[in-house]
Amino acid sequence: MRTLLVWLAGGLSLAGSIQVAMANGWNMPVGVTELSGNIHSLHMTIFWICVAIGVVVFGVMFYSLFRYRHAKGAKAANFHENIVVEVVWTAIPLLILIGMAVPATATLKQMYDASEADLDILVTGQQWRWRYDYLGEDVAFTSNLGTPRAQIRGEEAFGENYLLEVDEPLVVPVNRKVRFLFTSDDVIHSWWVPDLAVKQDSVPGFINENWVRIDEPGVYRGQCAELCGKDHAFMPIVVHAMEEEAFDTWLADRRAAASQEAQGIDREWAMDELMERGEQVYTAVCVSCHQEDGSGNPPAFPALAGNQALLDDRDRHIDTVVDGVSGAAMPAFRSTLNPVEIAAVITYERNAWGNDSGDSVQPSEIAERLSD
Amino acid sequence: MWEVVKSVLAAFFGVQKEQRRCEDFQHGRAAVFITVGLLMAMLLVVLVALVAVVAAR
Ligand code: HEC
Ligand SMILES: [Cu+2]
Repeated sequence: MRTLLVWLAGGLSLAGSIQVAMANGWNMPVGVTELSGNIHSLHMTIFWICVAIGVVVFGVMFYSLFRYRHAKGAKAANFHENIVVEVVWTAIPLLILIGMAVPATATLKQMYDASEADLDILVTGQQWRWRYDYLGEDVAFTSNLGTPRAQIRGEEAFGENYLLEVDEPLVVPVNRKVRFLFTSDDVIHSWWVPDLAVKQDSVPGFINENWVRIDEPGVYRGQCAELCGKDHAFMPIVVHAMEEEAFDTWLADRRAAASQEAQGIDREWAMDELMERGEQVYTAVCVSCHQEDGSGNPPAFPALAGNQALLDDRDRHIDTVVDGVSGAAMPAFRSTLNPVEIAAVITYERNAWGNDSGDSVQPSEIAERLSD
Repeated sequence: MWEVVKSVLAAFFGVQKEQRRCEDFQHGRAAVFITVGLLMAMLLVVLVALVAVVAAR
């Protein structure tokens, strides 16, 4: 009777502590899609099966150790084979494994079925940001870390979403099937948003698929989950799930803005316009290597501020930004930035931080350079 | 032949009587066991593939 009570108390406290741990966010989240809920319940099913096996196996083991201990004069039974016992302990795990395989396969099938999507988004990993292309919609943008550098350097207090905020979140509709196609421009990254139950590698030269159908509007955050270099921790993911009408309006606005910027290529831009746009681009894309004040991190990352050789050679400046430097960490921006952005950021670099070349680069010049 | 198949099945499952094991080692020919073993391994693969195809429908 006493042993039974001890066992009961032990079992209850184990189950209790598991419940507490789960309530405190130590468990996998249930998420906000039907599929993430299914994955969660599969996880819990397997978890409880494992707990039951653990309790039975260790229970029998500790009971035997205690009950038949040497001090009480127990003698080991020396027999060689027992067909019945052997068959039983082989058959039971077999049945358990089959029992686990059935729900697991059903969930996997659901996960892999990326067919018949309402919207396709190409997700490209880059050191160190994510680029989103709404395929067939003429909308594309990069999503950069939104946390101010001063917070990272410890000069300001951390914000609420420290390192989990971006300048432009990925926007998707609820209740529609959105298919993601993942690839990378440089090294392997991994796009991971726990609430959506999506963690998919983005591999250069390959396209991986995954999909979501989100039930609840909201903001869901994630991170790159594959060590990808110096700023691996600085390429978070923010997904903004909107009601369907709101999403359609957003998409139309983005499309209009994109075509407006495309028209901007042909006109003459004023110096302060270019400087303003250039500073935005620089802060979003270039600071991680060249620093806010253009001081870089020599010798690997050259200073741009006070770089007279660069100021004297405007063509080389343009070439470097458009084509990158092969064999070094300087990326080519010909396909990730548009002509307006490239022209603006070069103009900015040539006139910020005491660089006073006084010259500007026009978007039309870059557009021409790109079409060569 | 049926005895060989039974022994191979027992090996797949991982449990065999000591007495049967001794008999096999006295009477059987290794080549026969190996051939039957390979054939039945292939059969297992086909069986699993079939189950997968049915399950995927
Ligand atoms: C991933 C790090 C990284 C990023 C991001 C980056 N650069 Fe660079 N950049 C480099 C490195 C490294 C070099 C030096 C290449 C070499 O060895 O010549 C360089 C060189 C340059 C140079 C030539 C400097 C010189 O003296 O030759 C210019 C101009 C430049 N970068 C502009 C930019 C602009 C504009 C951006 C943003 C649109 C940018 N870089 C983003 C790493 C980076
Ligand atoms: Cu990454």
